Amino acid sequence: MAPAVATAAAPPSTNVKPDSLQRSKILLLGQRRSGKTSIHRVLFDNTAPNETFYLEPTTRIEKHIYDTVIPLEIWDCPGSTSPESLGTPFSEFAVIVFVIDISNPMYQQAIKQLVDFAIAAYEESPETPFEVFVHKVDVYSDDYKLENFKQITQRVNDELFDLQMEHIQLNFQATSCYDHTIYDAFSRVIQKLIEALPYIEDLLNVFCANAQASKAFLFDIRSRLYVATDASPVDAGTHSLCCDYIKMLTAFRPLYASAIATPARITPPSRSSSTLPSRAPSAPPPFSPSAALALAQGTTLTFHQATPALALLALLPSAVYEARRGLLEYNVVFLREGVQEIVNVEREARGGT
Amino acid sequence: MKKKVLLMGASGSGKTSMRSLIFSNNPASLTSRLGATIDVEQNHVRFLGDLILNLWDCGGQDAFMDTYLSTQRATIFQHVGVLIYVFDVGAHERTQDLSYFRDCLDALRKYSPDARVFLLLHKMDLVALSDRPAMLARRREELEGESSGQGVSATVFGTSIYDESLYKAWSRIVHAIIPNAAVLTKHLTTFAEACSATEVILFERTTFLVIATSSLQFPPFASPKNGAVVGNGGELTTPSAAETLHALDGTRYERTSELIKALKHSCSRLREEFSALEMELPECTAVLSEMTRNTYVLVIVHDPTIETAAIRINIRLARSKFEELQSDTIFTR
Ligand SMILES: Nc1nc2c(ncn2[C@@H]2O[C@H](COP(=O)(O)OP(=O)(O)OP(=O)(O)O)[C@@H](O)[C@H]2O)c(=O)[nH]1
Ligand SMILES: Nc1nc2c(ncn2[C@@H]2O[C@H](COP(=O)(O)OP(=O)(O)O)[C@@H](O)[C@H]2O)c(=O)[nH]1
Ligand SMILES: [Mg+2]
Repeated sequence: MAPAVATAAAPPSTNVKPDSLQRSKILLLGQRRSGKTSIHRVLFDNTAPNETFYLEPTTRIEKHIYDTVIPLEIWDCPGSTSPESLGTPFSEFAVIVFVIDISNPMYQQAIKQLVDFAIAAYEESPETPFEVFVHKVDVYSDDYKLENFKQITQRVNDELFDLQMEHIQLNFQATSCYDHTIYDAFSRVIQKLIEALPYIEDLLNVFCANAQASKAFLFDIRSRLYVATDASPVDAGTHSLCCDYIKMLTAFRPLYASAIATPARITPPSRSSSTLPSRAPSAPPPFSPSAALALAQGTTLTFHQATPALALLALLPSAVYEARRGLLEYNVVFLREGVQEIVNVEREARGGT
Repeated sequence: MKKKVLLMGASGSGKTSMRSLIFSNNPASLTSRLGATIDVEQNHVRFLGDLILNLWDCGGQDAFMDTYLSTQRATIFQHVGVLIYVFDVGAHERTQDLSYFRDCLDALRKYSPDARVFLLLHKMDLVALSDRPAMLARRREELEGESSGQGVSATVFGTSIYDESLYKAWSRIVHAIIPNAAVLTKHLTTFAEACSATEVILFERTTFLVIATSSLQFPPFASPKNGAVVGNGGELTTPSAAETLHALDGTRYERTSELIKALKHSCSRLREEFSALEMELPECTAVLSEMTRNTYVLVIVHDPTIETAAIRINIRLARSKFEELQSDTIFTR
């Protein structure tokens, strides 16, 4: 009898392996075909944006896990989900993201659903950040895009005002799977979940000062989301160049892998070393990938892998890069150790090993 | 030396899109904003040193096709070096398409009997991945039959602006136009040996199409003698088996063109220009840098003791030699 009850109470669909890690949950909401599944696939499954065209509709809540600085669990919901049918308290979620399709002229219904969720979430868990992605902005030219974006935010705020709920704070971002905007918007969402963010930002600020870098990002390599950046403002052009640069490097690597010459490059770990402490003084430092992209007007965009999942991208004067490679590498090592420590602490705090 | 290249095919088949990708560094996502081409749009693209491509993008609406084949027949079809005919694989109306194609071949045979003919089965991304090989084989057979029926030998490629297939086809097309590419291969191979490189690839600067490659070098440190390769039975493998293991990805040239073009495009969005790239990756060390005024070179090294700085010096030293090669040997006939 007991097992049957347990099965019935289990969530309807899941690809989450039960692990002891305490994951930050991200709830993805929005009307049918607003682009929720596409967003998940493009960011975390390496799907090309034009391939999302063939996606089947989501019929039940799908949970996806993703590990970066912090372990995430992303809930992709069907369009018909309502605050009542969700079946999970809002306080369970670290952040709620509502996706609204800017290209759908019938957005009245979407706005109603958005307002319902915003109010329900606020009443139950006022601290949980509520983000709105005004999505598919690529279908409009710049002027028209802005106008529609403003109109949607205005409508939502009017509705909330009419319901005397104007104190609810929603954060709106314009997004598209076809450019860097979705990467930027989702990066900002994830940063809200990282408790250690100020420490990482400090490391990046110190790095910028010491390496004379004008900008530095710490990127999650696989998803191309940045988990932190220094205090200077993020410029859209630089950000999208960083995304494309990582994409290029990742795609380039397997093309020139040789089954024999490649392993001979990296000294293969000998079997006996696993019994030794990992930082034996004689062991050579582990190889960490790096790259430098020189731009014609005198700046260089560097890439340094910081942990297996994370990379430091920095924009610095080419003259500094050429003349002070040693100093740069020294600062990278310092940053790498700091980041590794923060990642370890985060993981331990969440019950990982 | 000037080469006239005709770009023909039904309206909407993707001619202007591919031209803007390859020659103007525009991204695939923006091609949906292109309008139909009115009449013929001519472009001169200085390709390599003295080689100028005179590209004729011929708007494909029926009214235009009819004039090309009647009153403008001589103007369009004379002095053609290459005809590229584009077919939309998603198109429903095929008999009309094929009938225009036949008429074009007929005119070409009369006015430019020596022209090379390339047929592109375009928008392959619209076909499910698993169906592509069969679809390509079927349509290739059909088009090759159609061409040989007109006494023309044609090369068929499946292409899409969304992947590297477009670069593969265009690299092959351009290769057919470059005289004496073999001389370049020889010099690139010498250069690869000097750099201890596994491979050296030469790209055209604006299009990033592959012009020539060195022959693949076998790095001594990874030879069977050093114990890097041991066969199943524990014995050392033969050199030829080791060479098979050393083979790199078969799509690397066109994939590299596509990747660098995309990166160049993001640089331009920053109002910046791509200048050089060096990478120290687990798989290899690579340096991409300007070689001559019209070319970029990519040096791929597997030997971990070779520094990127050394490769850069070698490139600098080789520059004048290749500049010379490009202007004398390669392009004077
Ligand atoms: N799916 C897909 N669409 C493509 C591809 N190439 C081009 N297109 C689309 O096809 C449409 C027509 O492309 P054009 O390049 O203007 O066609 P064209 O052959 O120049 O047409 P005319 O100038 O009228 O002769 C555009 O919306 C492109 O985005 C491709 O490889 N795959
Ligand atoms: N133009 C455009 N279309 C998009 C974008 N994101 C998703 N789509 C398309 O929107 C449709 C529905 O997406 P899907 O992810 O299945 O929506 P869901 O029901 O919310 O999960 C698909 O055809 C996608 O290709 C975008 O940023 N721009
Ligand atoms: Mg056109």
